[in-house]
Parts: sequence; structure tokens; C-alpha cells
Amino acid sequence: MNWTWFHRFGSPPWVYGFAARWAPWFGGAALLAMLIALYGGLVLAPPDYQQKDAFRIVYIHAPSATMSLAVYSTMAIAAAVGLIWRMKVAHAAAAACAPIGAWFTVATLGTGMLWGKPMWGAYWVWDPRLTSELVLLFLYLGYMGLRAGIEDSQKADKASAMLAIVGAVNVPIIKYSVNWWNSLHQPPSRLLGEADMVWSMVWPLLLMLLAFFLYFGAVLLIRLRAELLRRERNASWVREALS
Amino acid sequence: MSEFLAMGGYGKYLWPAFALGFGIIVLIYVSAVSSLANAKQQARRRLETQS
Repeated sequence: MNWTWFHRFGSPPWVYGFAARWAPWFGGAALLAMLIALYGGLVLAPPDYQQKDAFRIVYIHAPSATMSLAVYSTMAIAAAVGLIWRMKVAHAAAAACAPIGAWFTVATLGTGMLWGKPMWGAYWVWDPRLTSELVLLFLYLGYMGLRAGIEDSQKADKASAMLAIVGAVNVPIIKYSVNWWNSLHQPPSRLLGEADMVWSMVWPLLLMLLAFFLYFGAVLLIRLRAELLRRERNASWVREALS
Repeated sequence: MSEFLAMGGYGKYLWPAFALGFGIIVLIYVSAVSSLANAKQQARRRLETQS
């Protein structure tokens, strides 16, 4: 198998150019998919037989929650690649992921609280799913705090990468917390095959998930460009890229 | 329209949830774009002082 395409991702100028070219396409596709999914979720999908119209919060809560985990996983993998292969672009990608993931986690917790109040009668309960998601927010904040606290960027990369990798243990804990422990939080819904919901409820959710992944791609590429410019400020390619 | 906004009595939870979620989506984008603009400005300043 030819791996030359992978090696290109180790080159900061190539990644900078790639990100500049592709971010608008990811962003445009995300916006289009979000608008269609919103119309499907808020207008076309019927109310749930138990949760009535409150279930529609799923169209913002579930994609945010999925992204909070997916972004952390991406960050941990990028940090591991950076540590193992000493790849500067991977460390930059991990650093770019952190604020995005932290905000997705805030969105997950906030929208979850607004769903919890009408369903459980409380905005917050110390439930395994909610508590482990809160720990995820602290991990993101800890990662960013650690990076900001170490002036030497190579030391900051190494220390924060270790934290990201160790913290990845929380990802399966969040995912399976509803199966492992008694939880107020509902178990995951099956969306494909023998789905728990009718198709008119499912497709807007799948489309919104796709939209959030595309959106993450767009903002990650924008943040990655900023990270690369800061790290490579003395490199000759920066002059050419900015001219 | 008012029936749609009421969302069967759950509108007071549903709309703030969407406002929060999409508010954060906008915030993530704005902060990413401003981070890139700052990085470009810093890099340009550095290049000017070098030349």
C-alpha cells in the first residue's frame, strides 16, 4: 500500500494549504445539512409518544454529545501520533481540538439540563452519564490549562499529550455508563436496522450528526491553520503563505 | 405559528436548548476565525520586523 499521502500530513505548509482549501467546503456542507436537519427535526418529525415535543431536543443534544466524545478521541489519537512519531502537525491538531471539544461538552451539558428538567424534574442529578460528561469538560479544561501553563512548546506538547491519552479512559466510561450502572439517562437509541424510532424521526438526527462532523472538520481546519502559523512563525513557508 | 412555538408546552425548554446549542456553534466558529486572524497578524508583524 502506498503511504505517501499520509506523509504529506506531516508537512506544515502542505497541511496549511490543504486546510485553507477544504475548510470552506466542509463549512458550507455543514450549514446546508444543519438547515435541512433542523427543518426535518422541528417540523417534519412527529412528537414522541412518551416525551411529546420535548424529545426534539435530541436534534441538538445528541450531536453535541457525540462530538464531545469524537473530538476528545481525535485529540487523544493526534496526541499519541505526535508523541510516537514526533509529528508537529499532530500536536497542533490536538491543541486545535481542545477548545472545540470543550464547547461541545458545554453544549451537551446545557442542552441535557434543559431536557432533564421536564423529563426528570431536575436540571442536574449526579447520574453516571452526567457526572462522567462533566469530568470530560474538566479534562478539556485541564488540557488547555496545562498547555497554557508551560512556555516551552515542546514540553507543553509532551505533557498535554500524556494528559489527553490518560484521559481517554473516560470516553468508554461515558459511552457505556448507561449500561454499566443504574442511570436516569436513557440508553442509546438504535437508529439503523431495527430502529427505536420511526424513519421520519431518525433521518434528521443522522443528518444533524453528519452536519456536526462536517462542522467539526471546518473549524478544526481553521484552528489548525492558526496553530501552524504560531508554531512555524520562523519557517520560510510562512512568508510565502501570507504573501 | 404560536402552536409551533409552544411545542406542546415544552417550548420553554426546547427553544433555550436550541439557542444554547447553536449559540455555541456560532461561538466556536467566530473564535476559530478570530484565532486565525490573530495568528496571521502576529506572523505578519514578525515578518515586518525581520525585514
